[in-house]
Amino acid sequence: MADATSKQITLTVDGKPITVPDGTTILQACEKAGSPVPFYCYHPGLSIAGNCRICLVEVANTPKLQIACYTRAAEGMVVNTTSDKTLSGRKDVLEFLLINHPLDCPVCDQAGECWLQDYYMQHGLYDPKFNETKNKKPKAVPLGPTVMLDAERCILCSRCVRFTDEITKTGEFGIFNRGDHSEIGLHPGTTLDNNYSGNVVDICPVGALTDRDFRFKCRVWYLGSTNSVCPGCSRGCNIQIHNNRERDLRPHIADGARVMRLKPRYNADVNQWWMCDTGRYGYKSIDENRLIAVQIKTDGTLRNSAWGEALDLVGGTLQRLQQGKQLDQVGVVLSSQLTNEDLYVAKRFFTTLGVTQVVFQRPKAGASDALLLQADRSPNAKGAQTLGITEGAQPLLEKAAKKQLRLLIVFTQDLTEIVGDAQLRGAANALEQLIFIGTNTNKTAELAHVVLPSTVYAEKDGTFTNFQGRVQRLNAALSPLGEARAEWEILSALATTLNLNLTFTDAPSIFTDLAKAEPAFQGLSYQIIGEQGAILHA
Amino acid sequence: MQHTAHSTQHTVSGRFPLESLAAEAQAILAKYEQRRAATLPLLRLIQERFGSITIEAEQWVAQQVGVAPSHVHEVVTFYSLFHQQPVGKHHIQICNNIACALRGASNHIAAISERLGIKPGETTPDGKYTLSTVECLCACEAAPMMQVNDRYVGPITPSTIETLLRSPESLTELPLMYQGTVGGVEPVISTRFATADAEKIDTYLRDEGYQAARKAVTEMTSDQVIAEVTKSNLRGLGGAGFPTGKKWSFIPKQSAKLKYLVVNADEGEPGTIKDRYIITKDPHRLIEGIIIAAYATGCHKAYVYVRGEYAQSTRILQQAIDEARTYGFIGKRIFNIEYELEVVVHRGAGAYICGEETALLSSLEGGKGFPRLKPPFPAIEGLFGSPTVINNVETLACVPPILRKGGEWFSKLGFGKAGGTRLFSLSGHVKKPGLYEASQGVTLRQLIEAAGGVGDGRAIKAVIPGGISAKILRADEIDVRMDFDSLLAAGTMAGSAGIIVMDDTTCMLKALWYASKFFGHESCGQCSPCREGTGWIFKIVDRIMKGEGRPQDLDNLLGISQGMEGRTICVFADAAAWPVQSYIMKFRDEFEFHIREKRCNLSDHRPQTPDIRMAAIH
Repeated sequence: MADATSKQITLTVDGKPITVPDGTTILQACEKAGSPVPFYCYHPGLSIAGNCRICLVEVANTPKLQIACYTRAAEGMVVNTTSDKTLSGRKDVLEFLLINHPLDCPVCDQAGECWLQDYYMQHGLYDPKFNETKNKKPKAVPLGPTVMLDAERCILCSRCVRFTDEITKTGEFGIFNRGDHSEIGLHPGTTLDNNYSGNVVDICPVGALTDRDFRFKCRVWYLGSTNSVCPGCSRGCNIQIHNNRERDLRPHIADGARVMRLKPRYNADVNQWWMCDTGRYGYKSIDENRLIAVQIKTDGTLRNSAWGEALDLVGGTLQRLQQGKQLDQVGVVLSSQLTNEDLYVAKRFFTTLGVTQVVFQRPKAGASDALLLQADRSPNAKGAQTLGITEGAQPLLEKAAKKQLRLLIVFTQDLTEIVGDAQLRGAANALEQLIFIGTNTNKTAELAHVVLPSTVYAEKDGTFTNFQGRVQRLNAALSPLGEARAEWEILSALATTLNLNLTFTDAPSIFTDLAKAEPAFQGLSYQIIGEQGAILHA
Repeated sequence: MQHTAHSTQHTVSGRFPLESLAAEAQAILAKYEQRRAATLPLLRLIQERFGSITIEAEQWVAQQVGVAPSHVHEVVTFYSLFHQQPVGKHHIQICNNIACALRGASNHIAAISERLGIKPGETTPDGKYTLSTVECLCACEAAPMMQVNDRYVGPITPSTIETLLRSPESLTELPLMYQGTVGGVEPVISTRFATADAEKIDTYLRDEGYQAARKAVTEMTSDQVIAEVTKSNLRGLGGAGFPTGKKWSFIPKQSAKLKYLVVNADEGEPGTIKDRYIITKDPHRLIEGIIIAAYATGCHKAYVYVRGEYAQSTRILQQAIDEARTYGFIGKRIFNIEYELEVVVHRGAGAYICGEETALLSSLEGGKGFPRLKPPFPAIEGLFGSPTVINNVETLACVPPILRKGGEWFSKLGFGKAGGTRLFSLSGHVKKPGLYEASQGVTLRQLIEAAGGVGDGRAIKAVIPGGISAKILRADEIDVRMDFDSLLAAGTMAGSAGIIVMDDTTCMLKALWYASKFFGHESCGQCSPCREGTGWIFKIVDRIMKGEGRPQDLDNLLGISQGMEGRTICVFADAAAWPVQSYIMKFRDEFEFHIREKRCNLSDHRPQTPDIRMAAIH
């Protein structure tokens, strides 16, 4: 709204003087003054509608209460957010909003994160006067693959309408009819099926729009929340991972799945308030089709093994090749899904060992759009590039097919996506050993002689560098599933097996090393990166 | 309003040949600076051609105007004149608002309903008739009245009903009931209302027509025009009473964008009939006012937003505009000087709120009639984001005489800070309902007496002085002068000068039932206090009407009305709150009687259940 260089004005909020740039709204000034006002229709990412009227505040010498979301703060203005007049205005608005609301909180999925509930407790607590028949509107209407509508719960704040008009510019939503028959909906015969549909659930302050994927899965008060970064594409949208934090006590929830949903987290420079559905619903791979056991192939079949045995096996192979001066017949395919920490440790490990054919591979590119989604469906290609790692597994696979490689270590990526099934099978057969270190089952893992389970981003501390060169923090929301270990941990253990004198203890200390060793990362630390990330040096 | 589609007669089976409208659509689109503004006219075109607006038609319009189909659907469902289902060949829309109710509309609704064998909202099996009850059509002088397709018919009598059923085509447009001036004032606005062929340009020219505009455009600067109008103390006669000269002076002289004059002809305030008279009887006077106002404010484009129901007025106005264009008063070089002025008539589609000036702009731009947050005010950012002056029809009709005879002359005709005369619409229980012209300083009693007072043997009980939104006055309060300031001091408002008189047979609860039904029906639904409050008020009043009142109801009604007042984007919520407050405060004993005794204080029998679609009969 207001840019920092503009004129400053001073107003008084609840007796406290506060200086803000000219053009600041009362609502923003109140927030800054530590006297936040309630709001429903206001959303900082959308145009101002001014229709819910809950943000009414008393302004001295103005007879009517003013809406804080739209009214500009002015020099010398005296705002009162706690006067009787303000409070009764709020209370009245809340009662109006609730008269036709079904009050079905016990069966509403929004319960626990509903702004009607919250504000009723904070600003309502009135003796209800409404004793009439409530208006009937459609309930449990699927709007599309991801969103469910309950029109009776809707307070007609128009956030979803403004979102599809202003952000996605797809215009699906409308408010039809008028007066208290007004009703949110889609054009008849259409569905809400754009790749940002899930955001309307986030911005719906009440239980009108709920997420069909999350609905009735888990009560929100059982959710834990961890800040992380979406690994779905190179944008690196800031997210929260919401997990069932009472999984031990309530294993029936979602059949024991750990992650219940992802929510976008505000970052002005990356994703603002939003995230795409590709990322939002990509969380299922955290719990599904995971590699959770160390496996070694014997007689053509992968059988469960143990870390010790597998590390000895892999370590032995490497040692043999090193002693035979055949490390030029070793190829390593890292992945742009790995963290900077994993990649750095890999770089150090293989350099120390003397393996030079180390590349990284991205997953198959997807569609991109003008809003957030990038074609690169991995979070850290920029990180891998910055660490000086060459891109592309294709030459190594060609070498393998020509029997110029003995050992190929593949991280995470399913290479059949790149070269096709038959070619990879041919390459695998030509190798002495194919080692797969990864998170989820795939065709490459099936072809491997040794499979080492690694942790997914939700189980990791670390950083990704997005396509803009912004280094962003992941925090482990979950413990590793089964026997999975972080890639850096696996390599660190392998280093010990090989007596390489490379030990790494945790992600923060790895990053400290990395920031010293890699010029682009110099000066960065987890503290500086913080919750909003920090840009690499050019 | 939803209509039961028993009829197949007017259903165009299969796909509507929307492409056949392409040329007409292009002509409509060409009238507007922004495509979206063509939304309402395109929808009207489709409905006129095909009988209703289908989802497919919405998609077509969306494509034409460049918006998402959902937003066209918003428009179709917002305005009461758009139908998603076909209606019968003769669409009977009976007014069921207060002025018609006072003169027995409910009996006629019941009679027509019985004769046709359908309830309001239904269509006869043969597809011949659809019966609807509607809110005020602003022909209160002819109460009880109805609209049959485009035609205004009234007052309804048993013989009207016979004609309606036998040969509806032969029903005629209701007569205008101009009743002259009151208090010996010389007429200013209604001078030509009794003139034969007054709507024709040759009679207007004969009566000194367009001389004021010629003088303004060829001899005066815009500042001189504004100064003269300022001197006249002309106030906005749509209801707000804002000084017109001042309003014009707010329009920036220099503007990179095209400036607009928007004429508010969306007459809708129940009890008000005046703009229809001006447009129908003296359209050139309005056009002359438009030319002068446009010249004074530097506008080259004027839009006249006419209430959608006013079909006859629209036709007459368009003819007059075409005539004026032939004479060179509108067009590229008006009065042969380098000044271009285009005038476009734009029809509404049935929404009272569009009379609110910013809602009107939203509607004109092709959206729902949602009032806008202010600032910016229309003078800075109005139509299509450009400086816009919005004037009521009657206000503009005062401008030519002001320029002819001088601001001072006009000012002296008025009272206090309100210059001139104005048109007073009288309806309800008066012997001579109709349109009267009087000085701003006339008293309410003078007007009622001029209208013959209430029926013999009856006494005045209450009077609404300025349209249904105004607070009601008791019989002992009618010596008040009718100018803006005097009525404000009396705790009510001059509004649109629509005076509805109620005699002592009037049940005040029933009067409030009609008022609250109206506001519940017309709230645009944007702001929560109004959207929810208007519906809530109606539910309570309706329940009391059914004999199910509770002791706390009156205090709750007052509390709800206070919770709405001053808490919304526009003043509609205030307008909805005032009747509640004033009827209950001034006639509380009657309301308490209804609640306590579960019957009306004026009749012995228990109240009948009122249906929202049926007039209350009790």
